[in-house]
Amino acid sequence: MMTDEDLPESLSSTGFSRRDMMRASVGAGGMMLLAGCTGGGGGGDGGDAQTLQFLTMGVGNNIQAFFEENNAAFEEETGYSLDFTSITWDNAQSTLVTRVRGNEAPDVSRMPSRWLPQFKNLEAIDPLDDFMQGEFLDKFYPRVAETTIVDGSYYGIPWAYSNKALYYNKDLFEEAGLDPENPGIDTWDDMLAAAQQVTENTDTPAYGLPAADRLTTVSQYLPYHWSHGADIVDDSGAPVVNSAAGVEALEFYSSMVTEHGVTQSSPLSSTRHDVRKLFEQGDVGMHIGHVYVGLNIQNDETGTNYGIVQMPEGPGGRFCLATTDSMVMYSTAENKDAVRELLRFYYDTERRFQYSRDKGFMPVVKEVGDRSYFSDDPLWAPFVEASQYARSRPKLENLNEVTNRMVRAIQETVSGQNTAADALDAAQADLEEMIEA
Amino acid sequence: MSILDDASAARRVRDPLDRMLQYLERHWRVYALIAPAIFFILAVVAYPIFETLRLSLYAAPRNSTVEVYVGLQNFRDIFADPFFYQLLWQTARWVVLAVVMKTVLGMLIAVHLNHDITGRKFFRTAFLIPWGIPYAISAVIFRWIEQPQYGYLNAILLKAGLIDQQIGILGDPSIAWLGAVVADIWIGTPFMAIIFLAGLQSIPQELYEAAAVDGAYRWQQFRYVTLPQMKSVILIATLLSTIWTFVGFDVIWTMTRGGPLDSTSTLVIWIYKTGFENGNLGLAAAFSAIGFVILLLFAVLYLKIYTRGDGESL
Repeated sequence: MMTDEDLPESLSSTGFSRRDMMRASVGAGGMMLLAGCTGGGGGGDGGDAQTLQFLTMGVGNNIQAFFEENNAAFEEETGYSLDFTSITWDNAQSTLVTRVRGNEAPDVSRMPSRWLPQFKNLEAIDPLDDFMQGEFLDKFYPRVAETTIVDGSYYGIPWAYSNKALYYNKDLFEEAGLDPENPGIDTWDDMLAAAQQVTENTDTPAYGLPAADRLTTVSQYLPYHWSHGADIVDDSGAPVVNSAAGVEALEFYSSMVTEHGVTQSSPLSSTRHDVRKLFEQGDVGMHIGHVYVGLNIQNDETGTNYGIVQMPEGPGGRFCLATTDSMVMYSTAENKDAVRELLRFYYDTERRFQYSRDKGFMPVVKEVGDRSYFSDDPLWAPFVEASQYARSRPKLENLNEVTNRMVRAIQETVSGQNTAADALDAAQADLEEMIEA
Repeated sequence: MSILDDASAARRVRDPLDRMLQYLERHWRVYALIAPAIFFILAVVAYPIFETLRLSLYAAPRNSTVEVYVGLQNFRDIFADPFFYQLLWQTARWVVLAVVMKTVLGMLIAVHLNHDITGRKFFRTAFLIPWGIPYAISAVIFRWIEQPQYGYLNAILLKAGLIDQQIGILGDPSIAWLGAVVADIWIGTPFMAIIFLAGLQSIPQELYEAAAVDGAYRWQQFRYVTLPQMKSVILIATLLSTIWTFVGFDVIWTMTRGGPLDSTSTLVIWIYKTGFENGNLGLAAAFSAIGFVILLLFAVLYLKIYTRGDGESL
């Protein structure tokens, strides 16, 4: 059947859906009607064909052919037909929630893993523990697979993935008297020492630190927090942001602005996007970024001579923020065997390689990451290696609210209005109310 | 009571009904024609207002299908939170400064454009440009201008020797709101100028001639002829501007998202943050209800002025 990649969500989520037609037709025993209504393509090729609603987001030109070819292959291989829809990211969350509430959920869809608790709470998605075990589970990087766990169960299968590493400007490091090929940054203290050397010996700010009113401000801070041994919530889900380790992490983070002055000016008005642009243009010495930073520098030909090292290690270990999207199965799916078959089909190693390569996303499957296309590439290889340090945001239903509160604590400390201990104590008190509620 | 009295009483009761039926019989076409508009208004205005007021009485997290009735608890929480009063103060200073500046600058521009100056047509068009650009785009442009590393403002100030290091206006909680309000003033001034210009052109020339004969100078003419004649226009324009500035969202959200440290948040920004970013729809609805009441006061004032004089419009 035709794959309607760019079909607006409004057309597929409102009115009389194909599934409704099917229900009505089957209920009335009108198989002729079914054949007539479902139109051409796979959906109409036989009375016993079953249609799966497969929804994803943001299918662009670079990946359209991948879905067209593979959806057709799946239909031919299994006899099921696919009602494939791509919606824009802008309203994806509200669209999915609306569809779930309106009993119009698709059978299978992609979604950011941070939405999993919300959809689990809505009882909209099924656990996939029976799927995520044994040989199938072993395909994935363990830390990446963990990002889909909610309350001890896998509620999704990792589909797309991004992680981070520390970029540095080689030319600037050389100017500052540091070894550009081996900058010797292994710990946060090493990073700070390098930043101080860059600040002392060049006119360029050493480190891009965003602290604007954006959720991504916390994304950039989390590796510090985790690697000092701190967390946002403990294993029981209770907030623990003001632990001694948390205070130490935020003190270190803010000291780069308030004490050492190694960052760009005005961090409180700088978003992650701003500091990324500064690094790409060669206007800041170091930046925690994902693989796209390197790709942007290549594509835009900014000429920035960059190197990449792993995220620095702290007293509590080494972590990089992993953001994953998952494939989920909806509890209202009528034919769950067919959904499982679709998932098995798309998690074939060759297809995963094809997807990661064409889309430019980090591989979620180890065997794909080990292929020379990724493991021998100077840009991709550090990020493949970083998969072992991947860690996702806490699985909280009100993650945005919690994150916004952490943004405030970071801003208070970075602006020097509050100490790390007081800012985190106040945040802890608020989080206790938020998370309890 | 006589039979005659009974009949007249019945007629009295029937008469209004008859009159209404007769009226409807004569005018049903009019009501049929406006019915779609009434349904439309009910659907897009009345229903959302009702739904917001209803939701304000519930704890309604976005990620749940369950709404729990909490009565006035959301309102009690809001009034007990000192941040609400900070929010009101921040909204008030935002609205007052923006509207005053838009009014003063709009009047200045209108007075100059009202004179027969060279290139008047060009200036009239040029002054309209900011109003024609989508607000969010203007806000992005101002964010660029004020950006410390590559913004024009810092570059100019550094070159002129007025500052010796970059300043991040939007990153300083004490002045960030000024950085944002400048953009709002730039966007909103042309509307005021156009309204004032229309008002100025409707003032009879004879009044100025009479004032000149009486020996009034330019300033005196402006003070004693222009301003009194423009009083109603100024009132209407500033009231409308107050309402629009109060509900303005694009500029602040694009430039600062209410930060840093919530220093540029206004009531509208906070409603969005609470409802759509943090997912507390019930609490956001309660904030909206409070905003609705405040706006209603302005709207009543506007209607009172607009229909002053036995319901006749100005």
